[in-house]
This record gives sequence, structure tokens and C-alpha cells, in this order.
Amino acid sequence: MITKIVSKNFEIPDSHLIDVALANGRYSSLKSVFEKEPQELIDIIKQSGLRGKGGGGAATGNKWQIVSDWDGVKYVVVNADESEPGTFKDRRILSLDPHLLIEGIIATCYAVSSNISYIYVRGEYEEFSDVLQGAIDEAYEKNFLGVGAKYRVDITIHRGAGAYICGEKSALLESLEGNRGHPRLKPHSPEPEFYFNEPTLVNNVETIASVPFIIENGADAYRAYGTEKSPGTLLFGISGNVNKPGVYEAEFGISMLEFIEKVGGGVKKGKKLKAVIPGGASTPILPYEMLKDARLDYENLSALGSALGTGGMIVLGEDASMVKALKNLLRFYHHESCGQCTPCREGTSWSDKILDRFVAKKATTEDLEILKSVSNSMNGKTICVFAPAASGVIDGFLKHFEAEFLECIV
Amino acid sequence: MSFSFSQENSIKIASLLNRYPHKKALILPLLWFAQKQESYISEDAIGHISEFLDVPYMHIYSVVTFYTMFRLTKPQKRVIEVCATLSCELNGSEDIKAYLDENYSKDFEVIEVECMGACSGAPMCAIDGKYHENLTTKTIDEVLK
Amino acid sequence: MKILIDNAEVECKEGDLLIEVMLKNALEIPHFCYQEDLGADGNCRMCMVEIKGQKRPQIACNTFVKENLEVSTISENIKEVKRSILELELLNHPVDCAICDQAGECKLQDYYMDFGLYDSHLSTPKTKKGKHIDLGSNVMLDQERCVLCTRCVRFTSNITKTNELGIIGRGDNSRVAVAPGHELNNPYAMNVVELCPVGALTSKDFRFKQRVWFLDSTKSICHGCSRGCNIYIDYNETKYSAEKVHRFRARRNNKINKSFLCDYGRLSYKELNENFNADVSHVKDLKELLKDEKKLALVSPSMSLQQLQAVKSFCKDNSVELFSLPYIDENFGDEWLKTNDMSANFNGVKELGINYDEDEFGVSLQEAHVVINFDHKYLKNRELKSKKVVHFTTSHVDSDYELIFVIADFAHDSGTIINCDGIRQDFYATKYESQNSRLVDILEELK
Ligand SMILES: Cc1cc2nc3c(=O)[nH]c(=O)nc-3n(C[C@H](O)[C@H](O)[C@H](O)COP(=O)(O)O)c2cc1C
Ligand code: SF4
Ligand code: SF4
Ligand code: SF4
Ligand code: FES
Ligand code: FES
Repeated sequence: MITKIVSKNFEIPDSHLIDVALANGRYSSLKSVFEKEPQELIDIIKQSGLRGKGGGGAATGNKWQIVSDWDGVKYVVVNADESEPGTFKDRRILSLDPHLLIEGIIATCYAVSSNISYIYVRGEYEEFSDVLQGAIDEAYEKNFLGVGAKYRVDITIHRGAGAYICGEKSALLESLEGNRGHPRLKPHSPEPEFYFNEPTLVNNVETIASVPFIIENGADAYRAYGTEKSPGTLLFGISGNVNKPGVYEAEFGISMLEFIEKVGGGVKKGKKLKAVIPGGASTPILPYEMLKDARLDYENLSALGSALGTGGMIVLGEDASMVKALKNLLRFYHHESCGQCTPCREGTSWSDKILDRFVAKKATTEDLEILKSVSNSMNGKTICVFAPAASGVIDGFLKHFEAEFLECIV
Repeated sequence: MSFSFSQENSIKIASLLNRYPHKKALILPLLWFAQKQESYISEDAIGHISEFLDVPYMHIYSVVTFYTMFRLTKPQKRVIEVCATLSCELNGSEDIKAYLDENYSKDFEVIEVECMGACSGAPMCAIDGKYHENLTTKTIDEVLK
Repeated sequence: MKILIDNAEVECKEGDLLIEVMLKNALEIPHFCYQEDLGADGNCRMCMVEIKGQKRPQIACNTFVKENLEVSTISENIKEVKRSILELELLNHPVDCAICDQAGECKLQDYYMDFGLYDSHLSTPKTKKGKHIDLGSNVMLDQERCVLCTRCVRFTSNITKTNELGIIGRGDNSRVAVAPGHELNNPYAMNVVELCPVGALTSKDFRFKQRVWFLDSTKSICHGCSRGCNIYIDYNETKYSAEKVHRFRARRNNKINKSFLCDYGRLSYKELNENFNADVSHVKDLKELLKDEKKLALVSPSMSLQQLQAVKSFCKDNSVELFSLPYIDENFGDEWLKTNDMSANFNGVKELGINYDEDEFGVSLQEAHVVINFDHKYLKNRELKSKKVVHFTTSHVDSDYELIFVIADFAHDSGTIINCDGIRQDFYATKYESQNSRLVDILEELK
């Protein structure tokens, strides 16, 4: 079930060192990059159908085109904030194969005519950003980066400091500008992101790390994997009540249950599978009964009323309490709301507090009603999709596991 | 009690200044340097950064309070951050927290944090920024003793 | 171009901000964070409207109108949206309007009354925040009442650029604050009280003194300097106390002060309440004095055009040499509203051709036997030995005088003044009869 494109070098020891990286094919795509015109690269990415791997699944080629077409000094910002619970894949790239990311950044910068790139790494990933910094230093020494390079690119690591919301692209840019991480109002028509008012591309680490393969081997080689609408592979994560938690690269479109069983080693202690949160905490939970035909691609999971998200599955076994699990996630949302919009600031806090009453088995019917109404108030009425995601989480639990919540009502 | 960056940090800062289109972007990096240097972010450090970057004091203060990793008070003990989010909770983070509280709270400040991106190594914690995954009471003792 | 709002046609231009179109047409649109002079921030989500063809409700403060736009603010769906947002807003708000200083001019109160919402979810603990925080400059903060619209923060960061206020913390722990050891301290600080849509920021000067619904308002102009900021005078008269002015509030004028006032001007209302005693002189005694040959008059440059004109005619008829001198304070003015010329109508003095040459005034003053002071501050506490001094005054006079006439101040005598930029503006008297005569009437009597 496993396909290795981005993770090809993960198991090669010391791949973060440039000599090892070079010996294993890193930077080899740059030859084909510089042979082409930037627009050709954008076209290849479009043809490959590469979709953003930060959770949204937006068409990468289109984003590049918008940035490329926009006048101004361009920036390429790599989103390594990776804070979505259940997601821990980008960290593998940063620490196990940082040169793949650097190679991808060089290609991306060239394609959109940018010379400046920032990698926004979540503050907690200090160990991994240190490894990445070592790799960047070596890339400068070997003239892949900086003035001596064939195409000048400067990469700077920018460390976050503990704020999940800074993974949201506009909040990330606010943070990168030296502000609080408040997401910005969404534009009315397609436009790039902006860093200090200049057109900016924000892509996830894994998205950028997928670029070298595509450019070197062509769009079709990438499309050979995955499905028509979700081409290629993803670094799927699996955690929770499973025997072999970890990050495994696989094609889109494979069976979720099979993946959990064969790759994740099945539910711990031979217990039954109860539910799966398919792509990071923000994707609505799906009960086992709905998973028989579930496939790991964007279309299939959204048809089931959830989403592929980051591909980080959290597996819940038969012993898991759904009330406790929801409480856990709502505490997370309560803690991480940036706090600027009313429905989110108040709604995340309120729903978290209500869950305390369910956990204590002291809830009332009215509490359940309030929870539903608060969830409704958070959906579709805020600046960013953080609150709607929290709402989706609540609705998912209540829809599929309401009985467990009713049991907590006195 | 005034604040200034160490010589080593000053050199790093000088080179970072060329990396950003505006000085203001250096707020987070400088706060990190300050916290590394003093183990927390003092009012003097905020004042110094404010002057150095020509950014209002209140702006920096407000930024500091947004990010949970910045500390405005000097930690009295070393800090153990235990992840308490779902994958870790499903794998026993509550027991780990209780064990740490019981056995190590004298020398350490044990706090719960949200998902650290190590869910496959659940339960986990971080001590002085270093991750320790797949914790058991035994591995905790090994690490801390 | 026309758009449809709740099925009624509304005139507007392509690209206008929807909320501005609605406010201009006096259409109901709840809003906290949007403010005419601070713009939109988009955080309160109160101004949501339904737009035909859009799946989700949109905020009017970030919607630009275009051809064929159809907006609904009254559909059941959008009402429900707004109700639910308000409900969340109220969750952590101490709904104790009965003891809140803002009651009567609180938007939150207006809105929840409109929606018939009362605090129903008391069962879960509210988030505790700070109360009675003294921010400085007479401004008190109650964080629990704050709806985090950031108007006050945007005022200090974008308008005064003094940056004292900020949001600290995150999520439901977010609060407005000043940094520890710092305070709100700028010459315009008290504007934040007026900007605050709820009772989170209150003025120590006005706190709990009056319920706003007992106040009357009159349109006026601040007389503190030559800017001529537009104000409302809020005043009342009760059974137990004589008429009293309680505060000045900014009255929006896009060309002059927008929605703002300086603190000096804002607090200058106090002068209108000053009580002072003076014997009342008789007009006939003044007539007697006017027989003298050498007479000089100095008129305050803050008097209205009507007053200045009457003074000018009086002086002409009685051969009195007339001067006016501006009130200049080199330390008062700034880059924004405040001007060094602290006279309200010096441009009026110029327009009427009144002599303002200081040297000539000095020479004439030495020679004069009779000096008539029309409320000019410089002469009120100056010893003028061996001269007969007459005061027409709105305030206490410290020096010796021969005659004194207490006249109505600008809150009781309407008129027109010309500001530093040549803008002519009218101000109006309060509805109560003044205890003191209007200057114009006294001068009329002298004819
Ligand atoms: C609340 C929130 C958190 C997010 N966190 C991350 C993150 O940690 N990493 C990431 O790459 N994208 C994250 N995203 C998605 C980004 O906004 C953005 O879409 C993404 O970085 C774009 O890159 P991609 O197109 O390559 O996926 C988040 C979005 C939201 C709404
Ligand atoms: S929805 Fe929540 S996280 Fe997003 S901008 Fe609003 S308050 Fe911030
Ligand atoms: S104090 Fe008032 S003006 Fe300031 S953010 Fe709160 S509600 Fe808005
Ligand atoms: S600027 Fe002048 S006119 Fe305006 S409020 Fe202040 S003193 Fe009054
Ligand atoms: S849930 Fe603990 S590291 Fe992700
Ligand atoms: S007024 Fe529009 S969101 Fe606040």
C-alpha cells in the first residue's frame, strides 16, 4: 500500500547532510528546472493536478499562476506550522529530508519569479528547525542558495511561538510581519496572499516537497498515482488507538480501513474500530459503520460528510468515550481561537465549558440544545474557517454519537 | 536592570535585518533571542526591542501575550510540557501527567499543552524544547533521573 | 445606480461600502466594530446581511455594492443569524444595564432589546476579567463589558498613533489593556469613551453622574480653539438643581473634527457651569461713562459674528476705539485638531475689519480713560490703574472695575463663528432661558 515519492529518502541515514542528500538524488531536478521557462513549470504543476497538502487541497498550479501574474516583489512562504492535531508529517520532511524541501523551494521560487522565501516553522519544532537550518547553511555553502547560485534564492526560517491559528495562511503572514496571528478578511475575488502588501505564495511543506518529483519526471508520472481528481500521493498520518502509529506515504484513493489495518497495524489490543477522525482534528468524525467503502481522497471523504484534511487519521477504538474525545477537542479550539470574531471567541469557550457538564454527567437537555445552537452560530459567520471547523467537529460527534451525550444528561 | 542582546545574538540579529523587507518582521525572532538569553521576556527586553525596531511598546507586549510559548515571568523551575490533545489522551497522557505531578512537581513545573505534532509518539512531552515520545513511567524516570 | 435593500430601492455608487450606504439612508444595521472614521475591522459580525446569490451571510462592512445587488436584513434566516451572534456576545457580558453607566446609549443593550434576548444561559461560569481599571486620562475600563470591537485600539494606533491600547491574550481571554507600567496618555484620549459602543470604557468625569435619558442635547461648536470642532452640549435642569451642562460630545463633521474632540475642548464644558457673583450694574451708569473722550474697547475673539457686529456698531456709535486680540498659546496646537490660536472666531474678527494690532492697542490703552472689556480674558485679571473699567463678562473677573455686566455664554446665545479654515458654523442655545442677558440685547438697550 505504500508508495514512496516524497518519503523516498526518509530511511536513508543522515539524509539531512548535503553529501548524503546529493548522493541520493537531491537537487537533481534543478537541471530541468532551469532549462525551462517559469511558465512552463507552472503549466507542468497545473497538469500534474498537484493539490495543496496543508489541508485545503487547493490546486497548486492555479495559486502559482495568480502569484506569477501579479505585479510586485514576490515571496514564497512555506507553511511548516503543522499544528493540526493528528498531523505530524511535515516534521518528517524538515528533519529527515530537508534538502528535498530546499530543492522544491528553489524550483517554486523560480517558477513564480521570487527570490525570497520564508519557512514558518511552529515554535515547538525547535529540534527540527535546527536540522533544517543546518541543511540551509550547507545549501548556501554549496551555492544552491544565495548570491552564488544559478538562480538566487534566500531562505529564512521564521519560528512561530505557540499558536495553532498561525497555520492559517493569512494569520501566518500576519505573524511573519510581526503581529498577532489574526486571520485577515477574505478577498472578494481571486488574488494572491500578501506579505507587506507584496504578492505572496503560501504552500505547505509537503506540497513544495512534491514539486521536484513532478518536474523531474513529468506531470503524467505524478498522475500515475492516485485518482483523477486527487492525483499523486500523500504522507498519511495515523495515530490514536492503533498498533503502528506513524507517517506513511500512499496513493490517494486507497481504502481507509485497509490502510488502518495493514499499515497502521489495526486497533490496539485487538479492539474493535469505533470511529475515525480522517484528516486532522478539524475534520468531522466518521463512525465505523460509514467507513466500509471510505477511500482516502478528497472527493470520497467529502461525500461522506467529512474531509481529507491533512490526511492525519486519529483512530478511536471501542473503548474511547466520545464525550471525552469531544471535550478534548473543544478544549483545543477554546485554547487556540485567535479571539477576534465574536462567534468564535465566545462560541469555542462556551462549548468547551458546556462539555465539562457532559463529562461530569451533569448536563441538561437545555445544555444539549445550547451546544447545538452555539455550534450553529460558529458556522459560516466568522473571518476564517477555524470556527466553522469547530462547529463541524461538534456536529459530527452529535450526529453520529448523540446517544453517548444523552447518557450524560441528568 | 536594563536589557541588551549578547554579542553573539547581536551578530545574528544584524544579519537577520537584511533578510526581511521591514524591521517590524523581526519582532518574533528578537523575542526568541530575548527569551533564550534570559529564560523569559522581561519588560526591559520589550522596551529594548521596541526601541531597536521602532515599534510601539504596546504592540510588542500585545504580540507576546498572543503566543503561548513566550513567557513574561521567569520560570522558577524547569518546565515539562505534556501534550494533552486527543491522540495523546487516547494513549494515556492523563496518567503520564498524574505521574509527573506526583513524582516530579517539586523540581519541575508540569504543564499541559496542545498537540505538539508528535501524535505517533503518543504520549509525549517536551523538556527544554526536546521531544520525548512514547512515554512510559519507566522512560520518564530514565529521562529525568 | 440603484440596489435593493429589503425590497426598497436605494441610490448608491458602484463600489460604495454597503454599511455606509445603509447608514446614510438611515437603515437599521447593527454594528460594533465599524465606525465611520475608523473603518471596518470585521470582527464583531453584527452587520451580517443576506445577499441574493450568496450561500453564506455576508458582513455589510466588507461588502462593496455593485449592480443588481439584492440585500436582505429582515429575512427569518438573517434575523436568526444575528440573534445567535448577539446571544454569544451576551454570554460573557454582565447584563446588568441597571447599574451600567452606558445604559441608554449602549448598542448592545439596544440590539438585545430589539431581539428580545435576555440572559438565559447563566448556568455555565462566565469568563472573569478585570473591572474598574484606571487606564489614565480619566478613562476607566471594565473588561467584562467589552465586546472587543477594537475601536479604542484602532483609535490609538491609527488616529493618534500613540499606541497606548492593545489587545492582550488570546481567544476568550482577549482583553483590551494598556501595557503594565504604561497608561493612556494623549491629548485626545477621552475620545475612546465616546467611541466605545458599550459600557466598557467610561469617563471618570461623567461616570454614574447622570442617566443619559435625562439629558437634553443641543448642537454647538467648541469654543476652545480656532478649529471649531462640532459638539453636542448635553445638559439638563432638574427639580432640585439649576440647569447644568454635563458634557460635550463630538458631533460628526467630516470636514473638521470627524467624530473626535481634544480632551481640553471636551472638558471645557466645565467653564459653562462656573458660578460667580457679581453686582449687577446699570445701563444708565454706562451711558454716563460713555461721555468721556478717550474710550477704548477690547472684544474677545471668541465672540460670535453677531456679537462682534453689535459691539462694532456700538463702538462706532459711541466713538469707542475697538480692538480684538487673538488668544495665542504656542504650546497648545498640534498637527491634528488643536490650533495655537485658542480663539473661536478670530477669522470673524478679521472679516469684520476689527483692529487687532497689538502695538496700537498698547498705545491706545495707555491713553484711554475708559476701558470696556467685552469678555476678553486678558483684561479680566489685569490691574488697570487710574482707568474706569467696564466688563461684559461670562466669567469671574478678578480686577477692580467700575461697572460689570454678566452676559450669556455661548451655550445660551446662539451665533455664528468662522473657524481657522474659514468655515462658517452656527451654534445654538440650550432650551432653557438664560439667567443672564444676551450681549446683543444689552447693547440694543444702550442705543
Ligand atoms: C485554522 C487553520 C489552520 C491551518 N493550519 C495549517 C498548517 O498548520 N499547515 C499548513 O500547511 N496549512 C494549514 N492551514 C491551511 C493554510 O491556510 C493554507 O491553505 C495552506 O498552507 C496552503 O498550502 P497548500 O495549498 O500547499 O496546502 C490551516 C488552515 C486553517 C484554516
Ligand atoms: S474564526 Fe476564530 S480563529 Fe478565525 S479569525 Fe475568527 S476568532 Fe480568529
Ligand atoms: S473597550 Fe469598548 S471600544 Fe474598546 S474594544 Fe472594548 S467594546 Fe470596543
Ligand atoms: S481642537 Fe479646539 S475646537 Fe476642537 S475640541 Fe479641542 S479645543 Fe475644541
Ligand atoms: S496529540 Fe499529542 S502530539 Fe499530537
Ligand atoms: S460592523 Fe461589520 S463586522 Fe463589525
